[in-house]
Amino acid sequence: MWALDHPYIPRAERLSTGTPLTLLVVLAAGAAVAMIAVQLGALPERSLRVIGVVAGHGALLATALAWAGVGPRPQVISVVMLGVASIAAAASPIGAVAYALPAMWVVWLSARGRLTTLGLGTPVTARALLAGALVGAGLSGHLLVSASRTLGVQVRVDHAAEVLSSMAYDVGANVLAAECFFRGALFNRAQRRWSFAAATGVATAAYVLRYVVDPLLPKNAELIVGAVFYLALLGAVNCWLLWWSESLVPGFVSALVFFAVYRTLGAG
Amino acid sequence: MSLIAAALAVVTALVALEDAGAASLLRHAYLVPVLAAALRFGTAGGALAAMAAVLLSGPFVLSEIERSGLTTEAVEGLVTFAMLGLVGILSGVLRTRAGRHRRRYEVLVTIQRTLADEAPLDVALARLRAALAARLRVDAVALVGRDDERLVIAGGDRVVDGSLAARVLASGEALFVEDAGGGARSRRVFAAPLLSNDQTVGVLAVERSGEMSLGERATLESIGAHIGIALENARLVSRQRRFATELGERVAAARRELEELDRAKSAFVAIASHELRTPLTALQGFSEILAVRRLPPEEVTRLAEVMRREARRLGRIVSDLLDLSRIERGLEPALCRIPLKLEPTIEGTVDIFRQGTATHLISTECEPALPVVDADPDALERVLTNLISNAIKYSPNGSTVRVGARALDGGVAIVVTDAGRGIPAEALSRVFEPYYRVPDAAGSARGTGIGLAVVKALVEAHGGTVRVDSAPPLGTRVTVVLPARAVAATHQHNGSVP
Repeated sequence: MWALDHPYIPRAERLSTGTPLTLLVVLAAGAAVAMIAVQLGALPERSLRVIGVVAGHGALLATALAWAGVGPRPQVISVVMLGVASIAAAASPIGAVAYALPAMWVVWLSARGRLTTLGLGTPVTARALLAGALVGAGLSGHLLVSASRTLGVQVRVDHAAEVLSSMAYDVGANVLAAECFFRGALFNRAQRRWSFAAATGVATAAYVLRYVVDPLLPKNAELIVGAVFYLALLGAVNCWLLWWSESLVPGFVSALVFFAVYRTLGAG
Repeated sequence: MSLIAAALAVVTALVALEDAGAASLLRHAYLVPVLAAALRFGTAGGALAAMAAVLLSGPFVLSEIERSGLTTEAVEGLVTFAMLGLVGILSGVLRTRAGRHRRRYEVLVTIQRTLADEAPLDVALARLRAALAARLRVDAVALVGRDDERLVIAGGDRVVDGSLAARVLASGEALFVEDAGGGARSRRVFAAPLLSNDQTVGVLAVERSGEMSLGERATLESIGAHIGIALENARLVSRQRRFATELGERVAAARRELEELDRAKSAFVAIASHELRTPLTALQGFSEILAVRRLPPEEVTRLAEVMRREARRLGRIVSDLLDLSRIERGLEPALCRIPLKLEPTIEGTVDIFRQGTATHLISTECEPALPVVDADPDALERVLTNLISNAIKYSPNGSTVRVGARALDGGVAIVVTDAGRGIPAEALSRVFEPYYRVPDAAGSARGTGIGLAVVKALVEAHGGTVRVDSAPPLGTRVTVVLPARAVAATHQHNGSVP
């Protein structure tokens, strides 16, 4: 038994130990320079999305990899892949397929057992995957009903290319980076320090904050309230899914299902 | 679980069918599944059911707000949300606490029952651990108990220095580790001291993959205190019973010893009477012959010699009895010590035996120039007489009794060796006890059973030692060591010689 046969050394490391500060500073500086360039007209307006994806999701994914104990090179590669994918997606809707690159990179690292501390590369049961799908379907179903009754939006299929592009973005950037960092890294570390409720609160608050401050999202009050409500629920439930199943994959599934339905909504 | 989900779905369907929006009276029916979930599953169940109810009724209320703003109906709907949350969570918290208290009492009863039977600490801890593992809903339980300087462990092999259990044992404070490592889910470890009279008598350690709330830890800490008291009580009861048993055994042993002593004294009285009567009879008979008959001078001399020998024997027995009386009163024999050469004393005593016995050959072998000892000549003669007499009595006719003396460093050793059947090993330690006679020797030769006790008392009164070595059936060797004069003087100076 651990309490008897292992020396007890009180934890000395902080929650943020292992954060790749140099890479984050470089990303922030790069984003600042690029935004100035956009302001000065040296770069086109649509470059802002590329900058946002690389700096925002790149920072989250690289930090998650760093906290998992992966070296600097794979972190940089993940940022580069996100950059390539976002540039390709900006160039053409079909270019969004490039978002498979960062996803495959994470799958490759997981298959080699380098991301087990994030809950990736560990066994996952069909029951857990089903639970994830049901959570995503339940939340997105509620979103559909609620949004259609309040905001008058409904499922639209007349913008399939845009929806598919957004789904690719979710797979390779949005959901990938958010789940890896907010659940796999932040919640995982927090629950080893505090209670489940406190860890869920911290991870979910950070997750919701990330969307609230996202400059690329619409600032309509109703949309923000709706986003806070659903993202808080999604974040909390995904924390529980990781805790219950000991795998990050069910959380991926629930978030992907939820965002997939969300992408199909449109007014009119 | 499925019933609660079905009830929530039915209520939602009824609210939708009624189409009364946020103000539907049916919304209060959500309280039924929420309460049921709280009472069945506790805080988590109540909170989840309340959240599900809010989510399901949300579209009706939110659409009302979207359409008409915060109308009375909308506010009623929002208040219903709050009520559902409060009822679900508070009922769940109460249910969880009640469950925890019930489990705590069950555990306490289990502890009392487990420790009711008298058992060694290791067995008691193992039983207790098995009972706790079934009750506490944890992944692993270990109990460590102090048994004087030793640690008794149930649920582990050892307590490593610096481990959580070792720290709790040293500090007496409960310790909680949020994560012991391994697995995607944190592994919580809690160690509580087992307390008795403010002393840490052990540790209760539990591990669980997942949550271990503050309330649970407080419960475990109080269980640790109860276990400590119960263990201490069990230990005291066990000690009391052991003490009573030990006392009973001692009393029985003392009674047996007294009975044996009583038997030995009775036997001694019979033997001593016989031993006294024999020389008295001889003295009485021969003196009557001398008084009534006219005998030739040589016959008178022979009879006088016999009477002298029997009178000496009588005197020796009486002296032994007097010495034994002093020994039993805790006094040392009275001595009149003078500087004494051993060779004449040994030769003189041996000569008397040579004249009195024709059945044994008695040889002497004394080293030249033996150190002078400070001894009472009469006492030393009685020592030698007893030893030589025993050697003759317990060795076969025709065998040789050897009496020797040699110098030692600071003393002299007198050795009397016979070729008798020897003394069994189990009897060797008792031959110096008063009245004791080696069982198989008692019927083969006369004796009072006090000779060696007197020898020992006399030798020790001289500051010497006596030991018996025997190798059945080759014979027995008795060695008396007396300190040489300078050493003896020191011994006397210290007050050991009266």
